[in-house]
Amino acid sequence: MTKIKQKLDTCMTVARVTVKEYLAYRSHMLVSLFVGPVYFAVQYFIWGAIYGDGGEIAGFEYTQMIRYFGITALIGYLTWGSADWNLSMLIRTGKFLTFALRPLHHRFFALSQKIGHRSLALFLEFIPCWLILMAVFKINLFPAHLGWFILSVLLASLIHFFIAYCIGLFSFWLVKTDGLRMAYWLFDSVFAGFLIPLVFFPKWMQFIQFFLPFQYTSYVPAMVFLGEYKLGGYELSLPAIVGVQALATLTMFVVSELMYRAAMKRFTAVGS
Amino acid sequence: MRFIKLYGKCIKIAIAGALAYRLNFLLTTLLATILNALFPIVTILIYNAGASFPGWDFYEVLLIQGVFLLTSNLAYLMFDGVLWTTMQHVREGTFEVVLLKPLSPLTYLVSTTFTPEIFGGVIAGSVLFGFSLFFTGVSSFAAIGQFLLLFAGGFCLMAGLCLLMSATAFKWVDNGRIPEIYDSVMTFGKYPVTIFPQAVRGAASFVIPVAMIGFFPASALLDRVEIAAFFAVIPCVLFMLFGIWVYNKMIKLYEGVGG
Repeated sequence: MTKIKQKLDTCMTVARVTVKEYLAYRSHMLVSLFVGPVYFAVQYFIWGAIYGDGGEIAGFEYTQMIRYFGITALIGYLTWGSADWNLSMLIRTGKFLTFALRPLHHRFFALSQKIGHRSLALFLEFIPCWLILMAVFKINLFPAHLGWFILSVLLASLIHFFIAYCIGLFSFWLVKTDGLRMAYWLFDSVFAGFLIPLVFFPKWMQFIQFFLPFQYTSYVPAMVFLGEYKLGGYELSLPAIVGVQALATLTMFVVSELMYRAAMKRFTAVGS
Repeated sequence: MRFIKLYGKCIKIAIAGALAYRLNFLLTTLLATILNALFPIVTILIYNAGASFPGWDFYEVLLIQGVFLLTSNLAYLMFDGVLWTTMQHVREGTFEVVLLKPLSPLTYLVSTTFTPEIFGGVIAGSVLFGFSLFFTGVSSFAAIGQFLLLFAGGFCLMAGLCLLMSATAFKWVDNGRIPEIYDSVMTFGKYPVTIFPQAVRGAASFVIPVAMIGFFPASALLDRVEIAAFFAVIPCVLFMLFGIWVYNKMIKLYEGVGG
């Protein structure tokens, strides 16, 4: 029990320091108040034109589609992270040594940083943009089931972190992971469901998504928000899909741990 | 003339520099090509689902997006580096190095920041443009002339936007999100502007004429261009001149940190 409390205290302290650090760059986050609604406006207008008088496209009605794009934009603020870049930089510059010597797992430290950073994003990006989208575009951005949605977003944020951490760990082998990060970003932007709901893809591509981590960072929480999950011809209940998402998160955690152990065997450092 | 000679030499140096790390250059170019090739994926999926942008067939929309890719990447090839180099110099307080050169700072930066890695985007844009043009065809010989004029207008607008972004870096120090602001506005230019409401259409044609980056030049090739599009070249040129003026003004706001 004391250990858990100690961990929580450490996590809160790192998160608090991260919040203070990023508050210095709050204007960077406030860019989202302009960028988010403008990107959404484009989707709002193009889908408005495509739907015209109504109907269904790929099983989505117009209001569902607009709500989908609204919530995927907002979810991004809560899941985004730069653990890959940070870890890669620490390894490349040799600064990782200082973390290897601390009585604290670097992954836990990085996760605590993310918690702090995203908590700030909740107040500076998520809530203001949520209000702007609802007020300006008059769309309903309340989830069908609040509890499942919150759980799904938390899992999405965690899985995003573990994926990013694994990519960062590749620096132990590749030193520079820019290409790898770009490749991941490329796949993520297409298969996470940011650009378009995954049900628009051919059936076989939809099916493959169950075995790839991308959909769990955005598409799944967005569909949980809408209250119904469908992909590749399968329809799952909210508890079922959130359960699958939890399993995927656990898998990514195990992968990150295995990679971390393998990386530590390769790790060499010099000097101070 | 002197600038063109200098620019030619700088391009050679930039390419030689990039080729020093051949594999990295090839990989980044390849990834940039793939990344840009995915640009029309939403359009492809929308049309595959049996939906469409009203009044525009599949290849016409691809043509608009091909022209958009080509124009924007050509401008990025020349001007994207100005933003990142300015941002770095301002953050580190080393812009004096640029000011001391026997050349105007903007000319120096444009010449020395040519970014060969963006070739991937130009390649993807050219392929998409050629592919869609194969299916749509060109309406007339005169359309090619109109296209070139409007394409030049789009390039001027992009140059202006890039320079405005770079100028912002003098005041908004180390904000890597500056391009997002401009990119979000440019998104309106990726689709046929006729699908937007009247007010948005007007703004995208004459206020910040992002329609010139893809829509107007592509419409010229399809013989669907309206006369008003040619008037929109004027704000595009003004944008570029404004970008140059603002950048030079912002240099005066630069505060160095000494040696």
